[in-house]
Amino acid sequence: MSEVSVSPVAGEVPRRSLRDRRTLSRILPAVVFAVVAIAFPAFEGGDAYVMFTATQALVYGLAIISLNLLIGFGGQISLGHAGLLAIGGYTGALLAIHVSGIPVPVEILAAGAVTAAVGFLLGLPTGRLRGHYLAIVTLGFGVAVPQIALNWTSLTDGRTGLTVPPPQIGNTIFPTPTELYYFSLIVLAVSLLAIFSMLASSTGRAFAAVRDSEPAAAAMGINVTATKVVLFTVSAFFAGVAGDLNAHLQGLVSPDSFPFSLSLFFFAAVVVGGLASVWGSLAGAIVLAVIEAKTSSSSGYEPVILGGAVVVLLLLLPGGLARLPATVLQAARRVGARGRGVRHAPLETP
Amino acid sequence: MHNFVQFVVGGLGFGGIYAFAALGLVLIFKTSGVVNFAFGAMATVVTMILWTLLNHAGLPFAAAWVVAMAIAMAIGAATNLALLQRLHQSSPTVQIVLTLGLLILIEGLAGVLWGYGPKSLPQPLSGTPVSIASFLITPNDLFIIGLTIVIGLVLFVVFEWTRIGLAMRAVAADREVAALMGVRTRRYVSGAWAVGTALTGVAAILVTPALSLDPTMMDQVAVFAFAAAILGGFGSLIGAVVGGFLIGVGSNLIAAYVSTNLQLTLIFVVIVVVLYLRPQGLFGVRATSRQ
Repeated sequence: MSEVSVSPVAGEVPRRSLRDRRTLSRILPAVVFAVVAIAFPAFEGGDAYVMFTATQALVYGLAIISLNLLIGFGGQISLGHAGLLAIGGYTGALLAIHVSGIPVPVEILAAGAVTAAVGFLLGLPTGRLRGHYLAIVTLGFGVAVPQIALNWTSLTDGRTGLTVPPPQIGNTIFPTPTELYYFSLIVLAVSLLAIFSMLASSTGRAFAAVRDSEPAAAAMGINVTATKVVLFTVSAFFAGVAGDLNAHLQGLVSPDSFPFSLSLFFFAAVVVGGLASVWGSLAGAIVLAVIEAKTSSSSGYEPVILGGAVVVLLLLLPGGLARLPATVLQAARRVGARGRGVRHAPLETP
Repeated sequence: MHNFVQFVVGGLGFGGIYAFAALGLVLIFKTSGVVNFAFGAMATVVTMILWTLLNHAGLPFAAAWVVAMAIAMAIGAATNLALLQRLHQSSPTVQIVLTLGLLILIEGLAGVLWGYGPKSLPQPLSGTPVSIASFLITPNDLFIIGLTIVIGLVLFVVFEWTRIGLAMRAVAADREVAALMGVRTRRYVSGAWAVGTALTGVAAILVTPALSLDPTMMDQVAVFAFAAAILGGFGSLIGAVVGGFLIGVGSNLIAAYVSTNLQLTLIFVVIVVVLYLRPQGLFGVRATSRQ
């Protein structure tokens, strides 16, 4: 997934021009996303519910990208990401409530840092585990966190939960849906910049090396366990940031806000969007937020759509939605080649 | 001390239920190499079918149970033939992802078909607790414990001492080589899926009177079953039974002496500690991997 650029002369930076198709295909999604995201409220800004759903998509986007760092870029499995969001959400809420006038960037960084610390602890034992063992441990973590929140009433107010004030910098508060939307968009954009530069660095390549073969990575001098722990820590940081944003968006954090099904839906969105694809994860987040807004949670259609999509995609389109254009192109080429080559042979169904 | 032993005895019934769920999980894993994360949801559907047979088809309890088991075996075998079989050469991660997709899908389908309103099932045996050496135990718990031990022993005997078991072990060790030796691998793997789904179905049917039947009922039971399987070594049938009873008793003691609400959290700690200190569990064999 990550491409290695080897330049013939040491120190020479490979020249990239916009004509280079690779560079273009990297920048184009970012430009399209930025334009659509910035312009979106101008068209739909009047409707508070639409803005809420759009903001939810951005928040889920960050959460799902942080999960994709683990699954797609690092080859690990996590079924407890909602637990990390819970820790970020509770940390942010407690800071906003108890530290009056705390600037929201500080609060978000603190929420990310606390969650990263938990992710570090979670990564320590899981650094030695893989496959279904890792899935079970993270599943247990995701189920345990809301239960702890439920029981630690002195801190979390139990089942009632905590009411979260709107984000605040100095004397300026951002209470309206549109302001919250732009605020979340800025946080997402900064996070994406950080994530992309990390993926392009040696750390990002170490993630991919560990994902593809642990013994080979170790033979190249990569500390496999340390890399996995760093991966869990980084992923947890962004999950915590997403959790704090989510707390501000919902206006409430309670143990019931982080069911096991939320972790599963994030997981499904990563697979549907495409492993190791940041933009695919954003697409998955939009799908998730829209389905959530259109279906009632008690109907059962949301899990049917998401779970069905995972099963069907896995069997038909293993690369996820991000691979859809390439797969369609390939199929079209195959059909075209077949038509030119063997004119009289009967077309078999692929 | 008397209280302590009473709490131990009180946890045995749930222990049997966790053992059944873990047996289904381990049997499928042992034969096909797949950890079926959808096992709880599939068992819930079996229970929902039993509920429909009892309440809408008017079958007697025993007959409904037999029909539900047959349907469970059909569901298990069909899942393997239609889905897992097609991915059996993919990486374990892909197979896990598929069963997770199934988990989401099946829970959703159960919600669409049966709704989210809680339903209930009667216990197989009713009756007031009987006293054995001054410790109280319900007839239903005795039934569960006896059934668990009998089924566990039968599975163990079949797996270790019969030709069927030999073939299943061969499939587990190396599917290609087993096929070359003339073992009908697809039949055995599907058979394991069928029996495994039925076993987990039994667990769901037995646990329903204590909980309320809704599509996500088995999510929490699944965590206990995973813990039981890991404690037992995740490949050992005897280990699954012993692990199930240990987890059942342990969680009853946690509920009695710590808090009912922290059961899952402490069981999670048990999972992490076991995996960290003794990854092969109590009965497993230490394995080296060259992945």
